[in-house]
Amino acid sequence: MSGTDPIFELKHVAKRFGKSRVLANINLQILAGERVALVGPSGAGKSTLLGLLNGTQLPSQGEVWVFGRNLARLSPSQLRQVQRRIGTIYQQLHLVDNLRVIHNLNAGHLGRWSLFKAVVSLFFPLEVETAAQALFKVGIPEKLYERTDQLSGGQKQRVALARVLVQNPIVILADEPISSLDLGRSREIMDLLRDMSEQTGQTLIISLHAIELALSHCQRIIGLRQGRILFDVPAPEVLPEMVEALYRIENARTEPIQKI
Amino acid sequence: MVLTWLTTVNLELSFQSVIWGFGDIIDYSKQYLSPNFSEFLKYVKLMGQTLAIALWGTVLSLIVSLILSPLAAKNISPHPIIYQIVRELLNFLRAIPDLVLALIFVSALGLGPLPGLLALGLHTSGFLGKFFAESMERVKPGIYEALKATGASFFQIAMFAAWPSILQEVAGYTLYIFDRNVRVATILGLVGAGGIGLELSATFGFFRYDQASALILIIMITIIVIDYLSIWLRKRIS
Ligand SMILES: Nc1ncnc2c1ncn2[C@@H]1O[C@H](COP(=O)(O)OP(=O)(O)OP(=O)(O)O)[C@@H](O)[C@H]1O
Ligand SMILES: [Mg+2]
Repeated sequence: MSGTDPIFELKHVAKRFGKSRVLANINLQILAGERVALVGPSGAGKSTLLGLLNGTQLPSQGEVWVFGRNLARLSPSQLRQVQRRIGTIYQQLHLVDNLRVIHNLNAGHLGRWSLFKAVVSLFFPLEVETAAQALFKVGIPEKLYERTDQLSGGQKQRVALARVLVQNPIVILADEPISSLDLGRSREIMDLLRDMSEQTGQTLIISLHAIELALSHCQRIIGLRQGRILFDVPAPEVLPEMVEALYRIENARTEPIQKI
Repeated sequence: MVLTWLTTVNLELSFQSVIWGFGDIIDYSKQYLSPNFSEFLKYVKLMGQTLAIALWGTVLSLIVSLILSPLAAKNISPHPIIYQIVRELLNFLRAIPDLVLALIFVSALGLGPLPGLLALGLHTSGFLGKFFAESMERVKPGIYEALKATGASFFQIAMFAAWPSILQEVAGYTLYIFDRNVRVATILGLVGAGGIGLELSATFGFFRYDQASALILIIMITIIVIDYLSIWLRKRIS
């Protein structure tokens, strides 16, 4: 894979759940090292699009290419090879509440670890240093051995981010990674993500509702509305009218998705 | 009327003998009122063996379900065919009574605690395996998806997401099954599968109702104590 090949390429992608069409005719290329913000109203299909990118969902139509490979053509073990290089921070975080923070962080290693190592680590935590550093970066180093269900929403969100830091992937997909943080914290986390991608060249795709942070921290903004790409432009070219159109509530059809 | 008459005829009973037998029954019952604890230490040892059979039987079924449950959980099972096969296997284990299993193992392995332990362990694997699999199916799907998205393998997902997420249920169900296994283990002795039950059936064989009475008392007290213990433990867990 040469440096200019896209990391992600979506060709005429559509996604349906039953009869409802959630994404329609998406064509998209994302290059290595880009910082892309995915913005749009609730139900626009942002989370679904991220699910297609990390291979946990397959498109109903079209093709998703990642690292130059068509995801639909990969065997389960080949898919795992691709997935270990993509880190995802989920909107609902999906941490295991009963486990201590250290284990939730070490889950980021699973793509590389053998089963034996994984099981041993559940009883005698391994690579504690890496986990501690990741937790330090997100600002809650003292929580390493806390049980995850004892944390506040914002702290859990930072643990989910630290899990991706532990995974240390080539690409980070973040689905509203700052939704339960206050403004100061949000800025801090966005700074962290931006600095990381600048230092290590990690590609970053973040879905956000905070449009100002999207504009200040990302280079490219993709506006998604009702399953379609409304605009896909460099951050400086985003105009207030475009944002207004993106979030406008239509009187006639307020439903977020099109039924066909 | 006719029916009552018919049944008494069939059983070769007569009302007379029932009335005469009444005296015998009182005589018989009296022997239970003076339990004979002369071999108390031996009984306690046997009760201990029964408890051990129940405990290790439960441990065995925990180990079996540790591997089978994730395979039998629809949402994480690596393949629908594996899911179906393991499900059927668990149903099968649940369907054979442990007494039958014990008879089979006694004739294969001889008298002693091992056949009892195996019978209990395999039969209750059917229960625990199914309970745990269903608990795993109730875990939020995203938790599995998040690990899958990092490239984790099936067994890694089982160890890092499925089991930790259902710990409370595991503790509750296991205590419940242990409780049950203690009761059943006393009966298993009757078919020669070790423990206090064998002694109990022997005392009946020799018409030593005073000794039988002592044994029954020990069994009852043990079961009641364990009952309270497990209720207490289950409360503490939840
Ligand atoms: N597994 C699913 N089954 C059925 N419908 C789904 C599923 N996942 C998503 N949808 C539907 O697809 C639409 C888009 O959902 P998606 O979560 O992608 O939106 P979003 O842009 O991430 O919204 P939000 O900003 O609220 O997170 C929604 O209407 C949702 O109901
Ligand atoms: Mg979403």
